[in-house]
Amino acid sequence: MASNSQFRPTVRRRPSPGPLFASPWIIGFVLLVAWPFAASIYWSFCQFDLINPPQWIGTDNYERLAGELRDGTGFAVALRNTAYYALLSVPLSVIVGLVLAIMLSWPIRGQAFYRTVFYLPAVIPVVAASILWLWLLDPADGMVNFLLGWLGIADQNWLTQARPAVSADGVATFTGWLAGKNELTLMGAMDALVLMSVWTVGNSMIIFLAAMGDVPKSLYEAATIDGAGWWSKFRHVTLPMLSPVILFNLVMGLIRTVQTFASVYILSEGTGQPGQSLLVFSLHLFLSAFSDLEMGYASAMAWIVFVLLVVCTLLLFRTSRYWVFYRAGA
Amino acid sequence: MKRNLPRLLAITALAVVLAASGILARALNPRATGLDDRSEVVFWHFWGGDDRDVVDEVVRRYNESQARYRVRAIAMPGNNLQAKLFLSIAGGDPPDLVNQDDPIVGDWAARGIILPLDEIATRDETDAINEFLFPAARKLGTCDGRLFALCNGLDVRALYFNQSILDQHGLPVPQTIDDLDRIARTIAPPDSTDFRSRNFGYLPDSRRLWAWGYVFGGDFVDPSSGTPTLDNPGVIRAAQWMQAYSKSYGADTINRFRAGDQSLPGKSFPLLPLTNEEQAGRYAVIMDGQWRVRDIRAFLDRRQSQSLAAPEFGLCPLPVPPDGRRDAGWVNGNFFVVPRGAKNTRGAVEFMKFWIGLKNPGQAARTCVTGGWIPVSPSVVEHRDFQAFLEREPLFAEFVRLAASPNQFPIPVVTGAPLLKRTVEQAASEIMSHPETDAAEVLDQANRRMIRSGFGARHE
Repeated sequence: MASNSQFRPTVRRRPSPGPLFASPWIIGFVLLVAWPFAASIYWSFCQFDLINPPQWIGTDNYERLAGELRDGTGFAVALRNTAYYALLSVPLSVIVGLVLAIMLSWPIRGQAFYRTVFYLPAVIPVVAASILWLWLLDPADGMVNFLLGWLGIADQNWLTQARPAVSADGVATFTGWLAGKNELTLMGAMDALVLMSVWTVGNSMIIFLAAMGDVPKSLYEAATIDGAGWWSKFRHVTLPMLSPVILFNLVMGLIRTVQTFASVYILSEGTGQPGQSLLVFSLHLFLSAFSDLEMGYASAMAWIVFVLLVVCTLLLFRTSRYWVFYRAGA
Repeated sequence: MKRNLPRLLAITALAVVLAASGILARALNPRATGLDDRSEVVFWHFWGGDDRDVVDEVVRRYNESQARYRVRAIAMPGNNLQAKLFLSIAGGDPPDLVNQDDPIVGDWAARGIILPLDEIATRDETDAINEFLFPAARKLGTCDGRLFALCNGLDVRALYFNQSILDQHGLPVPQTIDDLDRIARTIAPPDSTDFRSRNFGYLPDSRRLWAWGYVFGGDFVDPSSGTPTLDNPGVIRAAQWMQAYSKSYGADTINRFRAGDQSLPGKSFPLLPLTNEEQAGRYAVIMDGQWRVRDIRAFLDRRQSQSLAAPEFGLCPLPVPPDGRRDAGWVNGNFFVVPRGAKNTRGAVEFMKFWIGLKNPGQAARTCVTGGWIPVSPSVVEHRDFQAFLEREPLFAEFVRLAASPNQFPIPVVTGAPLLKRTVEQAASEIMSHPETDAAEVLDQANRRMIRSGFGARHE
């Protein structure tokens, strides 16, 4: 007698369509992200000009970068400029984004209109925005200096001045102005770039707005019952509840500042000038790879910055345990 | 069946449209119909705007003159021609001919990106071309004694001046550096304060250290060893002289005023008055290239048509210090290169010869007159059409005279030239932005940086 299993209908296992649907992305990821990522490690140990096969030169590229870091030239200038930009742009963008989100959460007439207006700069193409800012920041005829003049503030040199505001020279200019020795011409090219980045704060503002809508009303009601005022509610309810989003915006902002390229390229006409003040990491890498054809050196530089970025992100996550609060059950 | 009818109809309609497009495309493409069996030369260039029309016109004339080759010009204005070219070479499908104006010949030659002319042209052709060219045009394309790029238009710089303003102040046309300094000091005294409404006499531009370095007798690379010499005494003296202007007027004032040049409507020539009431532009004397002759002509014609008085303009070579080079300066230009892997090198050579006017200088003269370009050969300059143009435009004639000078130098045609160019310009910008810095020290540091990057060593 045949066993029952002989009469069991044959079930054909149909292949899962999931990988098939994901295959365009998987192929794209492997070819356009994973492979170049891995290849750049090898290239960083090579002399490679994009056209001829890479030639192994050991750690020469890394030694050259170390030499530049020692002398404060090339890569060191690019890192210093990028750090200046990140240290000013990231916190300012978070603060301005948060303040705008709070203001735009107030139930006032025309709320949707104001939200659109403040978000609009974030959707303007970076090339158009950069050219617009070139006009606005023109030291002689720009609108920004015109408005500052109304407020009795001296014309700033913006994109023509290499010296940044937050520097020893900037402090000297400020103290000299206090003593009545000179005009208060503080802002340099890098400060102009920071101003531009703060103008396009719409994305983080929208994220803050969404997160604020997610804060449970019961917390505010409890705070009101406890007699908390506006500031206390903000300090002890809103801010802690938004802290995961602040962490997110900080990390994303850090990555964004390191990747900033198009605006710098346009503002400095692809040179990093005035006086190397706009030579940020991405521009230095681009010029090394595609103008000087030093793809090996550029790859080594990219890897060092990648490691630095990972370390900074890890540090942010490490510190987050002291200031980021996650809702129970969330 | 009924349900499938609309789908069937849609598919049939699509098939008909596709078939019709195919037939139409064949009808419109002369190569596909077999009417044009000439061999195609794919030509990439960077020209846009009015210049693109001039290029298209040259291509049209060439194609009409040809039974064997047909040039297809592809314009790639902007900064991405280089990256696209590398990708096309790596992908095995490069164009047959490329036109460039960046200092890349040395770099690309050393890396085997471009082919030397002696590999794609006959010995007689190469000799004839070498003999045909101005020295400056030859220098632009020659690397290690071989011609890798064929120059088809020179860009020379000189000093334009507003004669009426100089006369008004009793100042002579600048022949020496002292003359130029006197013009600057007289028209805009450094101790005066109201710079915004001021017309400057002269202000050096940090990007022009290339030109002044040569005028002051300097060299940026040692021709025998190929090592960088940014610390050359001539280059240092030029940088110190330029920095003296920052010390006199203040770096911020100069930068601010210069930024105003960029915001002029249509980037107009700052030598020219902006309004009908004015007789002076932003500068009395300014360094610029031959393409500004067209701007001056347009300005004078406009004033004449409106019956308005116009100032007189002139042009002179860059003034010299006591031990400097006469008729010297920085020359660059446009040049053809044939990339490695090009399929129709013979066609590319024929088109290059046509453009520069090797066998028919009249064609090249016509192109240069239309485009306002400096010919690359005395043979083209001597052609009657071009001579007639020079009679109409005496300022242009001075540029042509300078183009023939042996003291006109390009950025050295060596490996790493783009890095050298950037390093020099960054150093000059730093020197002028920070008047308190020691120019010699900045240049010395820049030079050491170049050596450390492998510049010069690779050249050997």
